[in-house]
Amino acid sequence: MKVTIWGNELLAWTSAAALAESGNHVVLVNNEHELPDEVETEFKVSNEPGLEQLLTETKATGRLAMGTDQLGINHASVHILALNPDQFGTAELLIARLSAKHSNNLLIINQSNFGVGSTDRLQNRLDACNNQVISYIPNMLAEGTALQDYKTPLTYIIGCTNDWAMLNIKALFRPFSQVTTQWLLMTSKEAEFTKFANTGMLALRLGYINELANLADQLDVDIEVIRAAMITDPRIGPHYLHPGCGFGGLHFQQYIEALSELLSETRNSKLLDTVLTENEKQKEQPFRKLWRHYDCDLEKRTISIWGLSFKAGTASIDNAPSLKIIDALLAQNCKIQVHDPEAMSNIQKYFGDHSTLTYCDNSYDALKGSDALLLLTDWPEYWSPDLDKMKELMINPLIIDGRNLLDKELLVNSGFKYYGVGR
Amino acid sequence: MPANNSVAWKNLKSHAYSMSKTHISSLFTDEPERFSNFTFSQNNLLLDLSKQRINKESLTLLIQLAEERSLCEWIKNLFNGAHVNDSEDRPALHTALRSPANSSLSINGKNIIEDVHNNLARMESMVNRVHSGQWRGFTGHPIDTVVNIGVGGSDLGPLMACKALSENQTDTAQNIKIHFVSSMDGSQLAELLNSLNPARTLFVISSKSFTTIDTLANAQTAKKWLKKSSSTASEETLVSRHFIGVSANPDKAKEWGIPKSNQLEFWDWTGGRYSMWSAIGLPIAMQLGMKGFREFLSGAHSMDEHFRTAPLAENLPVLLAMVGIWNINFLHINAHAILPYDGRLSPLPAYLEQLEMESNGKSVDRQGNAINYKTCPILWGEVGTNAQHAFYQLLHQGTEAVMCDFIVAARRYHDTDNPELQHQHQLNLANCLAQSRILSLGDSVLEGAADAPAFKRYKGNQPCTTIMLDELNPFSFGQLIAMYEHKVFVQSVIWNINPFDQWGVELGKTVATSLLSALSPEKAQPTFDSSTNGLLNRIAERGA
Repeated sequence: MKVTIWGNELLAWTSAAALAESGNHVVLVNNEHELPDEVETEFKVSNEPGLEQLLTETKATGRLAMGTDQLGINHASVHILALNPDQFGTAELLIARLSAKHSNNLLIINQSNFGVGSTDRLQNRLDACNNQVISYIPNMLAEGTALQDYKTPLTYIIGCTNDWAMLNIKALFRPFSQVTTQWLLMTSKEAEFTKFANTGMLALRLGYINELANLADQLDVDIEVIRAAMITDPRIGPHYLHPGCGFGGLHFQQYIEALSELLSETRNSKLLDTVLTENEKQKEQPFRKLWRHYDCDLEKRTISIWGLSFKAGTASIDNAPSLKIIDALLAQNCKIQVHDPEAMSNIQKYFGDHSTLTYCDNSYDALKGSDALLLLTDWPEYWSPDLDKMKELMINPLIIDGRNLLDKELLVNSGFKYYGVGR
Repeated sequence: MPANNSVAWKNLKSHAYSMSKTHISSLFTDEPERFSNFTFSQNNLLLDLSKQRINKESLTLLIQLAEERSLCEWIKNLFNGAHVNDSEDRPALHTALRSPANSSLSINGKNIIEDVHNNLARMESMVNRVHSGQWRGFTGHPIDTVVNIGVGGSDLGPLMACKALSENQTDTAQNIKIHFVSSMDGSQLAELLNSLNPARTLFVISSKSFTTIDTLANAQTAKKWLKKSSSTASEETLVSRHFIGVSANPDKAKEWGIPKSNQLEFWDWTGGRYSMWSAIGLPIAMQLGMKGFREFLSGAHSMDEHFRTAPLAENLPVLLAMVGIWNINFLHINAHAILPYDGRLSPLPAYLEQLEMESNGKSVDRQGNAINYKTCPILWGEVGTNAQHAFYQLLHQGTEAVMCDFIVAARRYHDTDNPELQHQHQLNLANCLAQSRILSLGDSVLEGAADAPAFKRYKGNQPCTTIMLDELNPFSFGQLIAMYEHKVFVQSVIWNINPFDQWGVELGKTVATSLLSALSPEKAQPTFDSSTNGLLNRIAERGA
């Protein structure tokens, strides 16, 4: 099949690579096209495991090409919109041009989160009688596992009520649907709502467990004990219930913000707004523990940070707690020594040269002369550190564990002062 | 020689005799170009004196009086740092607080402009720290609430400026709430503290002497409130994270517990009621950001330069002052209404009450002689559209002659797409123009009004000044307040009084202290006057 993919998002690059790999001829139009609302931030292919390599391979086969907008419009009658939520204007213009070029049998799959009802608004610009159809399929990719998510979905949620379009969609995704157990068909509006509903639910769970963890802190209860008990209830389950120093990432945050706005505008509801506000506070929680430990004076202290990406498995630092914490420490004139297995170049680009900020290639180098270690990302290599070596390197054996990675009892017995989240 | 014994004064007196029989409406009939003849402007601030009971000759004679009183000399002395505050033997250099960094003024061999700008830089770093969310309270949460504790000049100025410039808040201040607490009885503070989060509240304690009982009582309550909310942090830590001291007495502030690093300074050559241009203006800077605060200073500086250099006959503060002198001393009007037609300027009347009445409410001249002419009138006021439903009845039909200042901005909401608000501004402007028109011209503005019954008649002839800004912003607001400051100074020169001291407020403090012990539980039988004794006894009976 010939497919044109529009956008500069994780989904755009992932679907381009996966579709080209499975035999399609793909043109990807991202930052070269002359369309309005250009997203300024450049998507970093290298942040996503395996993606860069697959892109190189599929380009070499000739099945994946980067193109201009004109080439993209002419190339195919199947188009995937993987645009940024802010680019609705771009989508409208693009639809008008596609409609003019392909007067019948035009299939557009919208996977951008423009909000509930927006795919219908785009459909109004098309002629459904001549099979000019736009459907909505929610983007279910998680940063860090995007390729796997794309290639082996258990469920397809499809917002489409046109039989001709549905036939083509099934054909397009056939290579990936071998393990798929469910095809949920609904209107595009319902599919958009589903995406929002899922995202909001996850945010609420995270917000709730963090709120409980903060309470546990004050009541001197270990939240990990509570959590272990909670998840035995099958109505609750284990997912998205790890307390920590806040969630980040580009899309998750962006979707929740959009949903929060929708709820607040149409329902005057502050539910998700509160979750977002509290999450921003939660990101600074390790800083606050450090601040109180040193009696509100961090002047000239040396602070180590392990983990800078917003979660393990990605190099992305979008909305990561590390950004807020480094800002806070810089403002208190601390000497900061940071390490991350993947995100070093991103963080270096973000903060630039700073006389008090040292970028360390080795995690133990970051501990030299340290007054505290702040653990902010749950990278596997941080789970079982060499405690003796740590104690030797640090001036003050203080660990503030923003992800509850380490065994509190073991650390305390080894002579560390330990603060977790809710324990 | 007493002020009222001079040639110009006598000439004005006889001129006033003829003018007192003139109605403002007839001045307009006789002189169709009156508006252009009696309006003056400085950098987009317009002063319209055409609705005053004056003609060209009045102004000429008034300027002669100013010259005879050596006003130009006095202005020079004010700016140069001469000890114009003679009873306290010091200069009054509020103008130095708004001088640009590249100027200089040496006082006792020290360039005070440099001190001023060093202090502004320290203020800037505090403001930026709060705005960036990096001023941390004892829990490590960023400060999001600033409470200014001060009284008099340490309260009224910043309070007014924050209200007046509420629409000019800088983006980084969007999440910062600013409150003001002044009253000694603790009622304001107690109510406020109920709604605040101690972990995120920063107190600014503003007191020139750092001994003001009202302020320190409130500061103490704030400190106790913080201590109660934190069982772990020491008092020293709490004070260093939650208090800024603004004072001309850094040692006293330190004694109270505020470390020097949390102190901002001002100097004894800044009078309390002239101090919002100094570090006392910290809450203003917290709201506007330093860029906005510097615009505010530069608006005032532009008025300073105008006052310092413009010929007296075109000099706005001089003209405003001399027309006041005319009304007070020659037309015998002793009431002055301040009528801003702008809700943002609601604290302006209270501010000018202090500025004018505390400065010029005096009856002894600089040589210590009793004065036999009127000085500062009684000032009061209210947002015009509200006052229309209150005391305008007296202005229109009462027996008191009252001079009125109308203050209004030509533009507001022009950059919004809210037609309702734009319409409300039109309504406001229409009311402002209508009221000053009727107050000055009377019902002559209506055809056939003379046939109305007596209780429906409007006699008019109340002299009105209109001050029109293009728009209310930090710069124009700085101009406006500096103009009134200099007006007060000019009048003090004419009256030969010192506008920079306030001895009349001292005795009350002393007597209150002696009464405090009479209110204590172990008090003896009071031995004051019978009224005070009676009231004390009543309190003893009923107060417990």
